Amino acid sequence: MSRSLENNYHPPLSNETPVFRKSVSKKGKIRKTLKPYFYLLPAILLLGIWMYKPLITTFFLAFQKWSMVPGTTPEFVGFENFIRLFNTKDFVISIENTIFYTIGLLPFSIIIPLLLAVATHDMTGKVKNVYRVLFFIPMILAPVTVSAIWRWLFHPSNGLVNIFLLETGLIDTNISFFSDPHFAKWIILLMTGWSLIGFSTIMFSAALTGINKDYYEASSLDGASKFKRFFDITLPLLSPTILFMLTMSILFSSQFTFAYIDILTAGGPFGSSTNIYYEMYKYGFYNLNAGLSSAAAMLFFFVFAIIALVLNYVSRKFAFYDN
Amino acid sequence: MRRKVRLINVIQHLLLIIMCIIAIFPIYWMIISSFKNESEIFTASFIPLKPTIENYVYAFSEMPIVRMMFNSFIIAILMTALQLITSLLAGYALVRWKFKGSFFIYTLLSLSWLIPFQAIMIPNYVLINQMGLNEQLLGVVLPFAVSTFAILSRYQSFKAFPVALIEAARLDGESDFGILLHVILPNIKSTVASLGILLFINGWNEYLWPMLITKQMENAPIQIGLKSFVNSDVNMWGSLMAATTVSCLPILIIYLVLQRQVVDSFVRFGIK
Repeated sequence: MSRSLENNYHPPLSNETPVFRKSVSKKGKIRKTLKPYFYLLPAILLLGIWMYKPLITTFFLAFQKWSMVPGTTPEFVGFENFIRLFNTKDFVISIENTIFYTIGLLPFSIIIPLLLAVATHDMTGKVKNVYRVLFFIPMILAPVTVSAIWRWLFHPSNGLVNIFLLETGLIDTNISFFSDPHFAKWIILLMTGWSLIGFSTIMFSAALTGINKDYYEASSLDGASKFKRFFDITLPLLSPTILFMLTMSILFSSQFTFAYIDILTAGGPFGSSTNIYYEMYKYGFYNLNAGLSSAAAMLFFFVFAIIALVLNYVSRKFAFYDN
Repeated sequence: MRRKVRLINVIQHLLLIIMCIIAIFPIYWMIISSFKNESEIFTASFIPLKPTIENYVYAFSEMPIVRMMFNSFIIAILMTALQLITSLLAGYALVRWKFKGSFFIYTLLSLSWLIPFQAIMIPNYVLINQMGLNEQLLGVVLPFAVSTFAILSRYQSFKAFPVALIEAARLDGESDFGILLHVILPNIKSTVASLGILLFINGWNEYLWPMLITKQMENAPIQIGLKSFVNSDVNMWGSLMAATTVSCLPILIIYLVLQRQVVDSFVRFGIK
């Protein structure tokens, strides 16, 4: 995702000053008008083929019945897929879980990182960089790597976590974290949080470095306490970053958890850890029901688009920019 | 006052050290587990007392790891190269010229991050099958040949490029493509490089799409092979950790060498 949520397009500053040429042929003129499109062609073509056209196809598939078998044609069924969707038990659970993951991730993507960034802001260069480099590592690891490691750490009989909990007497019997409906989604949330927390902290740290130190000096001369300074200066000036991270966290929480769900629990046990993206995947590639999957996709495409627009509006209206 | 300041410092460091341990420990555990022998793997010892490479030998004999790593490299490098080329060209066009539809195109680009891959995977899967590209690296790469995120980041960096330099080169008779190649690129090398690193990491870690396209181990990138190893019910945790270590080695090496650029590129560009 790009950092620019809003439309930052500005037309080029300078129009081309015409270069003196003896004669500009008609052919040359056409070539000149076509030039920008020529440069954009590869990107637009690929984007059209692999993003916008499939999106339109998915939109139509949402109203059709199709089992993805080559040679068969989809059959129009109206709103049947949408009706079926809401009568599917797993789908309702997946919505609840999606909300659970989205809200559950906020402490890891915003609250803890914000506090950490502020707590360590006035630290000096080299040490700070060492920390930065270290706690960024989870972010760059592949979801499969993270899943493998966590599966081993939380292994029901021989995992380090179970050994530790047993030794310290916190539990009496081993816990099968990934096949226990009470634990599965919490572990997935924890893993996702783990991989995000360092990244968020660094985003906030970077934003803090950009704050003009004069504000703090002026305010501490006024006798403002550290707390007051946090709420009066830091928070407003960080609001663009906070809103950016909020948007990202909300829109991508289901993406972030998808791979972990697929690798570790396959949505189970009893659908207790699934989310909507995982359901779409299941409908499509396990049940071979392209229509149902597309209906869910369309529904949530619009839900997320509305959320994005609202957040975009909020950040434009309320984010405080220090110019 | 002095003491209070020092106490705060201690707390700060403590906080950060705890964070670091939380971040690093799973990776540490992965690496040491991969060197533990059969009798030690199920204990909680924090260093392997009798380190062994047996786990690696087993992992390499069980899975075509070399082949899958090679696939991953090809996929990640191709994705990075194609995304860089398409984004450099597109970003250049958007900044350089005023033309009909430029605003519309920009809007299409900046809205595309709203499209989750799960919403387009079925049509894309069908198309790749029709093209006969399933089980092929090209089929994995093609839908990721363009990254709007890369285009927008190029747009931002071209935007900051001094117009005077471009004008001067143009008056010198440099062609438009020449300006991009000889004037702009050498000056923005470092941001292109850090974007490239980011795209490579993303390509290497890509999961859902390669999983749909490649079913055979020999055609799959390492992530997919590793996934089936994680899900197989063999109790070979030592070898699994060995294979996992191998799979993230390239990323960890890039990170060790270029930590600053990697962190900076994530901060600058966000994540996809």
